[in-house]
Amino acid sequence: MTTTTIMPPVQRSRASIINRIKENITAYLFILPAFLIIGVFGLIPIGYAIYMSLFNWRVTKGDIAINPSNYTKALGDWTGVALFLGGVVLLVLAYWVWNNAFKSQQRRKLIAGLIAAVLLIGMGVLLSFGWDRMMAAGDEDFLKSLVVTVFYAVGTVPIQLGLALILAYVLFQKIRGKEFFRMIYFLPYITPVVSTAVVFRIIFSPRDTSLSNLILDGLGFEPLKWLFEPRPLTEVLFGVQLPGLLAGPSLALATIIIFGVWTFVGYNTVIFLAGLGSISKEIYEAAEIDGANAWDLFRSITFPLISPVTFYLFLISFIGTFKAFNHIFVMQTTFAQNTVQTASVEIFNIFYKANNYGYAAAQAIILFLIILGLTFAQNKLLGNKVFYG
Amino acid sequence: MDKITRPAISAETQKKNRSFRVRHILSQALLYLILIFGAALAVLPFFWMISTSLMTLGETITREWVPAVPQFINYKDAWEQAKFAKYFMNSIIITLTTVTGLVFTSVFAGYAFGRMKFWGRNIIFAILLSTMMIPETITLLPNMLMIRGAIFPLPFGNNGSWINTLQALTVPFMANAFSIFLLKQFFAQVPNELYDAARMDGAGHLRFLLQIVLPISKAPIMTVILFGFIGAWNAFAWPLLVTTRETWRPLMVGLWTFVTEAGPETHLLMAGAVISLLPILVVYFFTQKQFTEGIATTGLKG
Repeated sequence: MTTTTIMPPVQRSRASIINRIKENITAYLFILPAFLIIGVFGLIPIGYAIYMSLFNWRVTKGDIAINPSNYTKALGDWTGVALFLGGVVLLVLAYWVWNNAFKSQQRRKLIAGLIAAVLLIGMGVLLSFGWDRMMAAGDEDFLKSLVVTVFYAVGTVPIQLGLALILAYVLFQKIRGKEFFRMIYFLPYITPVVSTAVVFRIIFSPRDTSLSNLILDGLGFEPLKWLFEPRPLTEVLFGVQLPGLLAGPSLALATIIIFGVWTFVGYNTVIFLAGLGSISKEIYEAAEIDGANAWDLFRSITFPLISPVTFYLFLISFIGTFKAFNHIFVMQTTFAQNTVQTASVEIFNIFYKANNYGYAAAQAIILFLIILGLTFAQNKLLGNKVFYG
Repeated sequence: MDKITRPAISAETQKKNRSFRVRHILSQALLYLILIFGAALAVLPFFWMISTSLMTLGETITREWVPAVPQFINYKDAWEQAKFAKYFMNSIIITLTTVTGLVFTSVFAGYAFGRMKFWGRNIIFAILLSTMMIPETITLLPNMLMIRGAIFPLPFGNNGSWINTLQALTVPFMANAFSIFLLKQFFAQVPNELYDAARMDGAGHLRFLLQIVLPISKAPIMTVILFGFIGAWNAFAWPLLVTTRETWRPLMVGLWTFVTEAGPETHLLMAGAVISLLPILVVYFFTQKQFTEGIATTGLKG
């Protein structure tokens, strides 16, 4: 009797150990195929890219690259980089001072404003000094491609989100054919980007008879060269000649921005719609009873309550534009010179056409670090402006 | 007095009501105007594409809005002369193979992460998830060397290289962290009672997964299939790198080479573009609701 009462626990524990081992083996077998593929094509390449970036690597591996390393070759001057990063730090500081000032009294606010202004001036000086040093010693093409990337991101994201918010807000009203409109807006996003980029190449071709120029003609304007136009937008439209970076994106890049907006508005609209649906109707009703008009409702209820969605979309759109490749690659023309070469396209060209592998890997890692930094900054800075209900 | 004042008030409110109604109609009209304008802009490039694809070469140059006589022969020409038939079949095979593999790996991995206890589960999962943040720009180059067999010789290739093979275009996309994550979330919610009941009947994890979990997981698996399908069909940079011949060149790369090589034959190019997006449109129209909801809830896809 005593043995039988003691035995079961022992047996059970031995059985449970065997069971656990069996479960472990089964689980590892279950994840093996996925892990193998992601490991080989997703994890190993990251380490290998870092490894490659350290060498003079043209098709086949050469010597280790020192003096200059691939990174120095790209960025030029490390003092310049430090100055530039210092400028970024000042910008963050200015933002912080200004932000905290709003919490305090009137007089402090004035002082804080002054401090912020000084910091901003310092930022401007550091950024431009640092940048000039980098441009003087570094790879002009790569650094320019970073600027083009920033132009592309800053040009695309706000317009795209603004339009999407308007469309989503309208669609959220009592509207007939809601599903139909949603489906239509979603079409550009769903269709393959290479196919639609090819169509945009035709629509925005420099011919007088391209669709874009026909529309301009109908409105009484002169035809433009669109994707073939390397001159800055400001010069083409207003005839002003601004120096360097101030001139802004080229018309060719602006055309690609139009494509980017056209493609992604529908996607953002759908996400905004989901966000609007989660705001409770009672808040609106209460405000309406208090006599708020439509604009009041939008400004003081919809906009703050939708801010987490806006933030999320802002973040992924921004990162998306930094990674964008396919449509820019398809829409680039030699006539636009390097005004549409964003960093990802530039990197692709460096290893695909110039076969300079080590250097391309270094550039890719720099781009990744920038994306990582931006993500972090946006999380820190914008994140606490977001109202999470 | 009463008899006089009352009609006066009601007339005023009537007026108020009318002005309110007018304003309401105006604001409704404005809303529809915005919606229709937006829809027109969204559709215009598609209209232009289809219209151009049915023109003669002459009409594309003199630039009509619509062709005088629709030239359906353009599609035949694009299909046969411009080799879109070949590219199309390649794309179909590549996409179906990729999606099959993707569903297979994701279902098993998703189940293991969602329902099984094993050593290192959380760490392995975190490592897998971290790959979602890495931009393609970084992995493209080392992966190209890998496919060439320059890092280590690959099995089942030509002298260790996978260049111009079907596996180069499919295998790297047969697993991704997003699909595993999606299925894991769903599988984890399957009630434990179901599993206990299955255990009673002597079923292990494999049978439980195949006979009970899978049939009730059609929705998330469908989402994985949809995203997989679209990703594989739209892939461009990668196939451009690992195909040097037409053997396995997919439609998107074919379309791009047509742009760079063919020059002025816009009508054939547009016919090719229409062909290239048809499968996606078909899939989209049949799974529209699922699709938009999938995106709205997951909020993902580059």
